[in-house]
Amino acid sequence: MKYYRPVSEPELLDLLGTLDQSNYTLLAGGTDLMPRFESGMELPLHLVDLKGIDCFSGINDRGDNIEIGSLTTIDALRKSDLIHQSFQALWQATDQFAATQIRNRATIGGNICNASPAGDTLPPLYAYQAQVRIIGPAGERQVPIADFISGPGKTALNPSEILFSVILPKAAGFSTFYKLGLRQAMAVSVINFAVVAVVDREKKVFNKLTIAAGSVAPTVKYLNKLAGALQNNGNGIDGIIDLVDQDISPIDDIRATAAYRRKALKNILAFTLKELVNKR
Amino acid sequence: MLYIEDIEYFDLVVIVNGCEVCRRVPTHQRLLDFLRDDLRLTGTKEVCGEGECGACTVILNGETVNSCLILAVEAHGSEIMTIEGLSHGQNLTDLQQAFIEKHSVQCGYCIPGMVLSAEQLEHEQAQPDREIIKQGLAGNICRCTGYHKIIDAVEQKGDR
Ligand SMILES: Cc1cc2nc3c(=O)[nH]c(=O)nc-3n(C[C@H](O)[C@H](O)[C@H](O)COP(=O)(O)OP(=O)(O)OC[C@H]3O[C@@H](n4cnc5c(N)ncnc54)[C@H](O)[C@@H]3O)c2cc1C
Ligand code: FES
Ligand code: FES
Repeated sequence: MKYYRPVSEPELLDLLGTLDQSNYTLLAGGTDLMPRFESGMELPLHLVDLKGIDCFSGINDRGDNIEIGSLTTIDALRKSDLIHQSFQALWQATDQFAATQIRNRATIGGNICNASPAGDTLPPLYAYQAQVRIIGPAGERQVPIADFISGPGKTALNPSEILFSVILPKAAGFSTFYKLGLRQAMAVSVINFAVVAVVDREKKVFNKLTIAAGSVAPTVKYLNKLAGALQNNGNGIDGIIDLVDQDISPIDDIRATAAYRRKALKNILAFTLKELVNKR
Repeated sequence: MLYIEDIEYFDLVVIVNGCEVCRRVPTHQRLLDFLRDDLRLTGTKEVCGEGECGACTVILNGETVNSCLILAVEAHGSEIMTIEGLSHGQNLTDLQQAFIEKHSVQCGYCIPGMVLSAEQLEHEQAQPDREIIKQGLAGNICRCTGYHKIIDAVEQKGDR
């Protein structure tokens, strides 16, 4: 295995141009890759470390948007005032992510490209309607996160393409994240979800509501049936919570059964929504 | 050690516990194995080998990391501190002393990682309360002590 650490974007693109696509792997924090190598996955012929390229990390204010470099660590997001103040759900996801040692290495780009149904930054990114920025030999393109992730471990990246950053529109509304794990720290989510809402406090109704849930389908799912029924409405959440069933398809696995996931998601989500709409 | 057929090498330069080290290492060698096998710094332990337990914790450029999840080559040009670099000879740090006074150590296997995580926590926050200490040590598993005495030690050190 040859190890490379390019220091600029042009150098990276040149390097990838010379390597056979099937023979290399991109390395960010390594917290998903290394356990895989260790459990016997064959090592690539070429390992391309992205950590040498400065413009890949950082959180930048772009007026109407913020742009987060794909190599930005979970810990850097957790320590960012901008994320803490304006993107609560994402901040909560980073705060409940693994523990210090992993947060210091794991990157947001790795979490996105790993495309796990349980990835904790994903429900917030879906709920904010984030766009991902992709660079490659053919230039640059931008796609909504929901189109980027197509299945467990599957993304829309073409050969030689790299995830450059993720872009979040500001002023999304109030947001919150919930993670149910089997213990408090270092747990893979049994379910997780993020809610972005604009609430009319007088009328106690949702003017705007987006809900995205993880670990209940092969990819993160928008709960559009429920969110639609709550548009300009805020009453009788318990009566319509079963609408969630129409958007999810959970499975049994070692952590929980499908039935448990359905029940937990509905109970915790109903509680969260009621709190949001009735809060003074 | 990760298994590989075609071994490639890399000339690694790192600063370990304040000393510059230049070694030729296989590109697939983990930082953990480089420290333990090549440098004989066996204070850094391996238990799970997959990032779950924290026994292999070292401080890389001022941040705690799991050395089982990092290749030695990734540390090229970096500064590393292992448990061996913490005390000055027999002069233990206040925190190490507190672990002794509070009887926080049983088998000891988790302790190097636990101490480095606690040092790092106190570096970031002068007087962490018990809840913050628990969160700060959440990446370090101990199978012996039940944690209370470890938290006592970190709390006492914070009080000094
Ligand atoms: C002990 C432990 C606890 C964990 N806890 C959590 C948790 O609480 N929540 C959670 O969501 N996850 C958790 N994870 C999983 C993992 O830490 C995250 O998915 C992390 O965000 C992966 O990022 P990374 O930078 O380490 O990715 P890497 O392992 O470096 O890469 C992951 C994949 O993405 C690709 N990739 C990375 N960056 C790019 C890029 N810029 N462009 C194209 N491809 C790229 C890589 O080629 C690889 O296929 C945990 C893992 C461990 C070992
Ligand atoms: S041996 Fe590295 S975390 Fe367990
Ligand atoms: S003292 Fe034995 S594992 Fe912690």
